[in-house]
Amino acid sequence: MSIDKKNIIAPYMTLKNLFRKTVTVKFPKEELDVFPGCPGVSPQYRGIHANDHEECIGCGACSDICPTDAIRLIAFEGEPREGAKNQRPEIDYGRCCFCGYCVDICSTGSLSMTRKFIHIECTPKTPDPEKEVNMIKDKFILLPDEKGLDDLGWNTPTPLSLLDLERVSMEQLSSDLRNDSFVEIVKGFSKEQAVKEASRCIECGICTDACPAGMNIPEYITAIWDNDNKASVEWMYKTNPLSNVCGRVCTHVCETVCAISHRGEPVAIRWLKRYALDQLSSDDVKSISGIDQIRSAKKKVAIVGSGPGGLAAAYFLSKMGYAITIFEKNKMAGGVMRYGIPNYRLPDEALDKDIDAIKTLGVEILTEIEIGKAKKISQLQKDFDFVILDTGLPIGRTILPDLKHDKFNLSIEMLEDISRGEEVTVEKKIAVIGGGNVAMDIARSLARLQRVKFGEVNITAISLESREELPADIEEIEEAMEEGIVLEPGWGNMEVDLDKKTNAIKGIKIMKCTQVFDQDHRFRPLFDEADVKTLQVDQIVEAIGQAPDYSFLDSYEKEVEFKGFCIKTDENGKTSLDWLWAVGDIIEGPDIVHAVSNGHMTAQAIDRIVEGNK
Amino acid sequence: MKTSDILNKTKELFPYISTELFEEQQGRIKVDNERFLNVLAYLRNSSFVHLANIFAVDWIEEKEFELNYNLWSYDHNSSIIVKVGIPREKPEVTTVLDLWEHGQVYEQEIHEFFGIEFAGNPDLSPLFLHNWKEIPPMRKDFDTEEYSKRAFDVGEREGAK
Amino acid sequence: MIDLFTDITEIANKDGNKVYDIFFGPNHPGMHGNFGYVVDMIGHSIAKARVNAGLLHRGFEKIMETNLWHQNLSLIPRICVVDPDPNEAAYCGAIEKIMGLEIPERAKFIRTITLEMSRMTSHLMGMGSVGGATGLYTVMYLMLADRDRLLDMFEWLTGGRIYHIYNIPGGVRRDLPKGWRDKLYGLMDFFESKLKEYDEILYRHPIIHKRLKGVGVITADQAKKWGITGPNLRATGVKFDTRKAYPYAAYDQLEFDIPTEKEGDALARANLVRAEFEVTISIIRQALDKLPEGDVNIKLGNPLKFKVPEGEAYAKVESSKGEYGYYIVSTGGIKPYRVSVRGPSLPAGLFLCHKHLPGMRIDDVALWMNTLQICAPDFDR
Repeated sequence: MSIDKKNIIAPYMTLKNLFRKTVTVKFPKEELDVFPGCPGVSPQYRGIHANDHEECIGCGACSDICPTDAIRLIAFEGEPREGAKNQRPEIDYGRCCFCGYCVDICSTGSLSMTRKFIHIECTPKTPDPEKEVNMIKDKFILLPDEKGLDDLGWNTPTPLSLLDLERVSMEQLSSDLRNDSFVEIVKGFSKEQAVKEASRCIECGICTDACPAGMNIPEYITAIWDNDNKASVEWMYKTNPLSNVCGRVCTHVCETVCAISHRGEPVAIRWLKRYALDQLSSDDVKSISGIDQIRSAKKKVAIVGSGPGGLAAAYFLSKMGYAITIFEKNKMAGGVMRYGIPNYRLPDEALDKDIDAIKTLGVEILTEIEIGKAKKISQLQKDFDFVILDTGLPIGRTILPDLKHDKFNLSIEMLEDISRGEEVTVEKKIAVIGGGNVAMDIARSLARLQRVKFGEVNITAISLESREELPADIEEIEEAMEEGIVLEPGWGNMEVDLDKKTNAIKGIKIMKCTQVFDQDHRFRPLFDEADVKTLQVDQIVEAIGQAPDYSFLDSYEKEVEFKGFCIKTDENGKTSLDWLWAVGDIIEGPDIVHAVSNGHMTAQAIDRIVEGNK
Repeated sequence: MKTSDILNKTKELFPYISTELFEEQQGRIKVDNERFLNVLAYLRNSSFVHLANIFAVDWIEEKEFELNYNLWSYDHNSSIIVKVGIPREKPEVTTVLDLWEHGQVYEQEIHEFFGIEFAGNPDLSPLFLHNWKEIPPMRKDFDTEEYSKRAFDVGEREGAK
Repeated sequence: MIDLFTDITEIANKDGNKVYDIFFGPNHPGMHGNFGYVVDMIGHSIAKARVNAGLLHRGFEKIMETNLWHQNLSLIPRICVVDPDPNEAAYCGAIEKIMGLEIPERAKFIRTITLEMSRMTSHLMGMGSVGGATGLYTVMYLMLADRDRLLDMFEWLTGGRIYHIYNIPGGVRRDLPKGWRDKLYGLMDFFESKLKEYDEILYRHPIIHKRLKGVGVITADQAKKWGITGPNLRATGVKFDTRKAYPYAAYDQLEFDIPTEKEGDALARANLVRAEFEVTISIIRQALDKLPEGDVNIKLGNPLKFKVPEGEAYAKVESSKGEYGYYIVSTGGIKPYRVSVRGPSLPAGLFLCHKHLPGMRIDDVALWMNTLQICAPDFDR
């Protein structure tokens, strides 16, 4: 740029600036007016944080991602919530660099930054520099709360979240390939899929709090992500020796409370568990479960029934040095896991892997011995130091106890027969009464057998509960519908229609159910007598619940305390008799992982008593 | 000339190097400590006049330092990084001051942070750190957290996950 | 009797006066950042200069080895305070090179726009400082006031004015808000009209010509062999720009030319910046016109468990000061193994001083630093 020619007027041209408006904004008298529609700073300003304490679950992802380590989780004073930790983030503004990563990664979207950026503290007039430094340190560490939520700046709606919100989809056999065989439906993860799915976990630990068995879930997921399946299975065995089973059929409370489930799909914890175990050989699993433990012969414990509770108690007690004998009335061990859950959900091979690992510890499982018949419980009391009951609920309930008909069946008996490979009655049109998982299990098993026998499926599942109230798992219901089962939710008060001449079942008359539970949540179904219909069926299978069988207790039945039809125990499983303990469905249930937890607690409690008495 | 051709030509002249083409315009050459000056001089004279950067990487497991000379050619628009491995126990190498004058400053910085000796560099006095009495700080065995706690007497911060 | 215009150095030399030390910086209004020279002076000429650096040393390269890949992005803008976006783009570019990722087109264009806006703010501040260093304070205030309008656009887009932390591996964090494009068009028109005013008050000013002419001359050969890059290189006559030679972001889809000057002194560098203003405005307008639709980033999964596969890469960008380059070594983990930052101020500030300062008058040191755009944070790191 060259210099202009000399010009006398040029200096005076600057006078035009006298009349221009200044660019200075006299804050706070004047307010900035730069951004359309909002006076002040920008609508996405990264200012001081605000946090909705009701939505925040205390997962700690913000604390993990903070580059300057400014966020600390402190104890929270409010009501503890299910699926949330009792802690909230507190931010040190001396360290915070206002990058906004904590807001982008927040798993519920409760943390955001406001448009406030002024924070004033008066320094004291004290001459003590250390006191002043400490005071400033205190005053600049703030707990973000609801103040400022009305003036949001930088916030992250769900599509912009930094978390990985989509689950790796699990391949399953499609319904046309699976509906005539009992082959396992879920195919399992490949290595890339498992590592990618495991990378979604933020290691908050809320799942561990929710798991009834208290499994160390973030630790075993991180081990899978690190490609260390052996370490992963070691973590699993610390709390759950039936991980092969739970990795297929657990009710996964962990996934329901998973932090990622608030904005996306929860981490597939159950499938990851199965993946890690499937990669190890059974020798590896046995070495992890502890075959080479030095054991001293402590006391002897008998376990009646080999369901999940009994097997778990056997595993933990055996590791602590006890001699265990399990008495199982059926031909093979496993209880409801073998005889109740069909093979397409839980193949026998998976269950056997777990049982083998437990047997290598030296646990003795004596099958086809029924306590109460082959051996008396009083004998057990004499021969063993402790007895643990794990007899479960083997008797199926029925609404019509007086109707005895060979086409009017109980689901629990049919499931047992199917799993033993025995012939069962399969008619062309079947009605299944019930809306829980057992009803779905028997309906889907019978559907397969119907397809093999008749080439088509005709099963109707009738339940008192409406579609939204159905207690079965959502996946079970959806897969059942894919396999051709028709649901009739909200019907009951059935009457069986028998043919007058042949006495065969002709149909079933059902009435519309208007209410299942009353205001106090007690079971009081009400029906609309005007709304009736009849379905044509040849066979009716009931799956409306199960009951225990205490006949084996003999005279002890009078000494044991009951709570309803369950045995009353303390929090560790001890009954009113010191030597008699109980686990599993007979104390509370309601699923496998609770039974495993019962077994673990009982084992630890027994050991405390034995060690304490030394 | 394309970077791949330059790499091939260099390999023909200096068979003891190993070359790798990373991208169309970026390549790497690995050469040993005794003979790297030849390669650098040849590259500088074949239009790689621009020395962008010299830096070192501490491969503590393999017990070696890796010096990287980041070169750029204005004529070919090509970037070549020459890597020289030197033993960690006795990290001594010669200066490239005669080829690139400003290399002196980069070497001064590396000497301060890694402890590598550059023979022929007139000024290896500390540039950035004042009164530094520990081991050269960019080495992998220097633990910043442990040093901070020791030097500044800070307590533990409780609670942070 | 001393003649008013006799050089003080001549007097000092004739009288045989001793050399005395002066600390030029770090506490000096003409100094760019926390950095200083210790100069040995005779009269008012400098005999020898020594560098007094390290006051801004924050240990970034070591800290980056202990942070996750995403966490480093909060440190990186602080390596160059006036022009932070090229650093973010270079770091993300190096990671994307190792992974072989191609970011979406819209993200490339948005990156280009923010890079050019950042270049403009840096030039405004740089030229304002040149004015300030010669005593023309009006220039400084005017240019900084205009720079504020660009910072407002950044605040609207990213939530922060100076440290944007807007680029992440895989793209950018947020999409353009509604109305941002139109406002930026209006702003480019505003700046184009302002260029005439800048010419009047700065570029055609006789004082600037007199003060800047002949200060710190570099020839083209010297620039190439001493590692000088960016506008300093183009002011010596070399027609080179990384945006054309090793393209990144969306520069290969835009048309622009590369201005050069011949003399290689401070005045040429200042004039070159003036020419670059026009290039920048043209690039921003083109990019806004051609902005495609689409995503603004690729989802790379949970940042707490984000691994970069094993490999190394060097990514360089053309910032307003010169060439910024990031060499990243990854061993396949969740943290980098080594990040090496190449900044343009190291050869200019720590090496060129030994060539230029001896013989220079003390009044010209601040000017010389401002036109070379030496900025301490990028060699102190």
